[in-house]
Amino acid sequence: MSPDYLQLLRALYPEIALVLGALVALGLDLTVARRHTLEERRGMSLWIGTLAIVAAMAHVWLGSRGSVFGGVLMLDKLAVATRFGVLGLALLTLGMVRGARVLRHPAEYVAIILFATIGFTLMAAAQQLLVAFLALELASLSLYVLAGFDKTSPASSEAALKYFLFGGVSAAFLLFGFSLIYGVTGSIELGEIAHQLTVQHLTPLLIVGLVMILVAFGFKAAAAPFQLWAPDVYEGAPPASAALIASASKLAGLVLFTRLLWNGLGATSGSAATATGQPGWLPVLAIISGASMLLGNLGALAQTNVRRLLAYSAISHAGALLLGVIAVGAGSEHRMVWPVFFYAATYGLATVGAFGIVGVVDRANPGGCQRLTDLVGLYRRSPLLAGCLAIFILSLAGIPPLAGFFGKFAVFAAALQLGGISGPAGWLTVLAIAMSAVALYYYLLILKQALVVKPAESVQRIAIPPMTALTILVAAALIVVLGVCPSLVLSRL
Amino acid sequence: MTGLAVQNLWLIPALPLVAAAIGALTPRTGRSLAAGAAIAAMGVSFLLSCGALVTALAHPAAHAVSNFAWFDLGASAFRLGWLLDPLTAFMCVMVTFVGTLIFIFSLGYMHEDVNAKQFFCFLSLFASAMLGVVVANSLLLLFVSWELVGLASYLLIGFWFHKPEAAAAAKKAFITTRIGDLGLLLGMLWLYDSTGSLLFFDGGNGVLEANTLGALTAHTALGGFALSTVIGLLIFCGAVGKSGQFPLHVWLPDAMEGPTPVSALIHAATMVAAGVFLIARVYPLMSADQALAHTALHALTVVAFIGAITALMGALIAVAQNDIKRVLAFSTVSQLGYMMLAIGVGSWVAAIFHLLTHAFFKALLFLGAGSVIHAAHHEQDIRSLGGLSKKMKVTFATFAIGMMALAGVPFLFSGFWSKEGILHAAHEWDVSHLPLYAGLAAVVLTAFYMTRLVAETFFGKARSHASDHAHESPATMTLPLVILAICAIALGFLGTPAFPWLQAKLLGEAEVHGHSLLEGAGLMMLSIVLVALGLGAGWALYGRKLRQKSTSPDPLAAAFPGVIAFLAARMKFDELYAATVFKLNSAAATFADVLDRFVWDGVIRFLARLGEFAGIVNREADEDGLNAGFDAGSKSLRGTGNAYSRAQTGDAHGYLRVIAIGFVVLVLVVMMGGGR
Repeated sequence: MSPDYLQLLRALYPEIALVLGALVALGLDLTVARRHTLEERRGMSLWIGTLAIVAAMAHVWLGSRGSVFGGVLMLDKLAVATRFGVLGLALLTLGMVRGARVLRHPAEYVAIILFATIGFTLMAAAQQLLVAFLALELASLSLYVLAGFDKTSPASSEAALKYFLFGGVSAAFLLFGFSLIYGVTGSIELGEIAHQLTVQHLTPLLIVGLVMILVAFGFKAAAAPFQLWAPDVYEGAPPASAALIASASKLAGLVLFTRLLWNGLGATSGSAATATGQPGWLPVLAIISGASMLLGNLGALAQTNVRRLLAYSAISHAGALLLGVIAVGAGSEHRMVWPVFFYAATYGLATVGAFGIVGVVDRANPGGCQRLTDLVGLYRRSPLLAGCLAIFILSLAGIPPLAGFFGKFAVFAAALQLGGISGPAGWLTVLAIAMSAVALYYYLLILKQALVVKPAESVQRIAIPPMTALTILVAAALIVVLGVCPSLVLSRL
Repeated sequence: MTGLAVQNLWLIPALPLVAAAIGALTPRTGRSLAAGAAIAAMGVSFLLSCGALVTALAHPAAHAVSNFAWFDLGASAFRLGWLLDPLTAFMCVMVTFVGTLIFIFSLGYMHEDVNAKQFFCFLSLFASAMLGVVVANSLLLLFVSWELVGLASYLLIGFWFHKPEAAAAAKKAFITTRIGDLGLLLGMLWLYDSTGSLLFFDGGNGVLEANTLGALTAHTALGGFALSTVIGLLIFCGAVGKSGQFPLHVWLPDAMEGPTPVSALIHAATMVAAGVFLIARVYPLMSADQALAHTALHALTVVAFIGAITALMGALIAVAQNDIKRVLAFSTVSQLGYMMLAIGVGSWVAAIFHLLTHAFFKALLFLGAGSVIHAAHHEQDIRSLGGLSKKMKVTFATFAIGMMALAGVPFLFSGFWSKEGILHAAHEWDVSHLPLYAGLAAVVLTAFYMTRLVAETFFGKARSHASDHAHESPATMTLPLVILAICAIALGFLGTPAFPWLQAKLLGEAEVHGHSLLEGAGLMMLSIVLVALGLGAGWALYGRKLRQKSTSPDPLAAAFPGVIAFLAARMKFDELYAATVFKLNSAAATFADVLDRFVWDGVIRFLARLGEFAGIVNREADEDGLNAGFDAGSKSLRGTGNAYSRAQTGDAHGYLRVIAIGFVVLVLVVMMGGGR
């Protein structure tokens, strides 16, 4: 099969749109906009970024489907949905940037967000180990920079460095794991790897390779025991960067690794019931999932910092997401991938929204927005923010009729379909449900500060840029609509 | 006019809902906007309902449905839908028509209330929920709307919530109907469990279609009852609560605390009709066990007897009430009993005919009463009214028409024909004639207490200052009365035995087969005699010698003081419930409280401590172990270092070491745990 470069070009139109957007933003900022204020320069870059992402979304919507360039990329339903999802989340993140504190070099900030988004869209479609690794690294390197973008803040630099160190080590593990898999199977194509593994035994070499890949997955998803970076990074990074790390990055990583594990390594999955089952990567994933839910939820209970709290919440959600990955199961077409996809997408929506609000408050407060008490009296300072925050937080907590509830419900239902309470994922599901109850406590702590506690003295109203207000409203509306009528999305998948 | 397709049926409940949303979003000063939106939405819904009626009458036997998947659950989808058949269409037309008139009436009645815009918002919500009940093709959708009806009635009955009685009445209505709703919910769950569907009609797979019903009757549930009997009775529980049937009728008279248009809406067109409608809708399910010979009990038998008891009891209590609205409220209880009786004896068509005629003349009576109350500055005691016939000519004339329709004055008034249909059906029931006798006794009583009501309210001389200075209500209030009065007469001719058009359409027959009026003439003569007896007795006691002072004794109470006092206290049902159900409830609550306080609380506290402890350990590990080391390290380097060097302390190694340890442990887990 001769490589068809024209086809590749067509398949990559969305990425090309993003690159062009990033370059135009950088170029204009360096030439035309030099004499303008930071705020104006940021506004212009954000408009260009928004246009680029909208163009990319249109291309994804209308563009080609199917296998590309000899199977390097696979633009199936899952890939298209994921590309659309990460682009949407990135778009929302751009809307949030406008409401946050102004940083130096705004055009670079926007451009790097776009570069990270390219990484995400490629991750969504990667069908080959090398492309997967490159896409992942493109995204990761961009995110390191984004985390450290606030150069006036030592916490931001610290966050970036920690994130970078962790990311570097986990990338090393991933690459080592990939090379072991390549060594065992002799291929870097997922389909070929799957074929080879059906005839092979589970050798120790293969086990080491598998676990190495899972370590990298754990890092990307912020799952225990590879979660240690998350609280520090979420706390120190600019809120919009944290929003991107928590939402689009998670969705893309989840889809990449789900594809990798089930499509490529499905033959070595083993059984999730650790005591009796077959060896394989499923029991490891089950342990990581359970540990994340425990550590994330219990750790969150003691938090007084709203960003750290959201980080622990992210860790606990990572546990539930991994449960969803376990529930995907082998089989053609992966019908069961949609619950976990829906979960990840709606979790991303709620997190972007929450971090967006943190960003707005961060800009309005002289002392920033770190502690829970920085949110006191939000209902008086901006009823819009307070109302939307309630929607985001309650969706994270999984309260019906918001989308978070439906995501959770679908994932748990899928996990129980593997064989009920006594089935392989039964104990994990029970744990997840029990932990949901624990989680409600700390989520309500946030809302208590924002909605109930009376501010001490007269408070200043928070001014929200119209674009950010619109973005927050869109995210909140999506959460409500997807919660009331999930089939709007699910029936199309 | 072209018809309305079933796919667009949702518009009918959706429009009032939009109006409710507009009402909710307008500020308090925007009352004319809220009222205009509500009336316009109802008006358009009425036109749409007429369109739906045209469609339904074109094919009266067809159950046109439009189902859609609400959400997917694994391989199966949960589906909802709309249903259009003559029953739905007639109900829609009735609800929207009466509703529109009541809305217009409210314009005048609520003119002085500062919260009028909220009132219109609630009214629209109420109407929307009721229309949702009517058009639903799924028991679940019906249930959701049903509960919204309950919520809206709570809001409306308690609209003047600053009055403690109104707040208590709202609560009572909500909780009492909720008891019945629990039965409905259980029935619904059981139905879903045994059939896997809640759609009424679904191309052969709906729960009201022959396949499913056959399966339901074939199964035996408890104590020899067929499954359909048990589910039917559970669903009937919901109807008992909503339609104020014995023994859950206690909320309905108290609901009179709400503004009078609300009473008209609740007692005429909507809430109470919902129960009767529900049973008529699921009539195939209710009657599925009729063919079984070996069952201990047919569901419909229970319905018939509950209906008969309610009809007689309501009429008896109404005799001894002195509040103009309470008399009407108990007459509603009694008339709803008639409807249930009709369904129970196998003629749901007669029940719906009576429901429709009753909706018009009872709305007329309530709005007439509202007009009186409005004019007499909220004086509701009939002993203190009087002499209004000359001051309020329109109200008097229309109220008299409503009264004669309700009393069943022969031939000209709709109530006569619909009640006759019910008595005729009861006569033909071969299980027992007791319901027929109860119904006939209630005929006498109805004529009697309505005569009393009119005589006391409108004749004689004014017995209070308020009634002395009453004057006719404005046109927004009298116009609906006139329209309803015309309907109270005209509607009867849609369903006379000679030309039973309505019955034929409801049953899905293309041709209308008339009967001779002489068929069953004996029964008709008997009931005419009974009506005359009731009217005569009422006139003899209250009309001949008119009351002079508001404090003079009631002639009937003077004759039978004990009986009338018992009836005036509404047969002591409230006291009975207070002594039994409430006591039991508070005992159970106390027990639960003790259990909660001393047993569960301890467990919860223990678990909470455990969680707290784990959280502290985690935080210590994170902050004191890793972060503190990090901070300590960075402190020692602060003199020389910048932020970059701070991150290069040994503690980042600590973080990374966890990755390595985790990796090794997990590899060991796979190698050892696999049992290889």
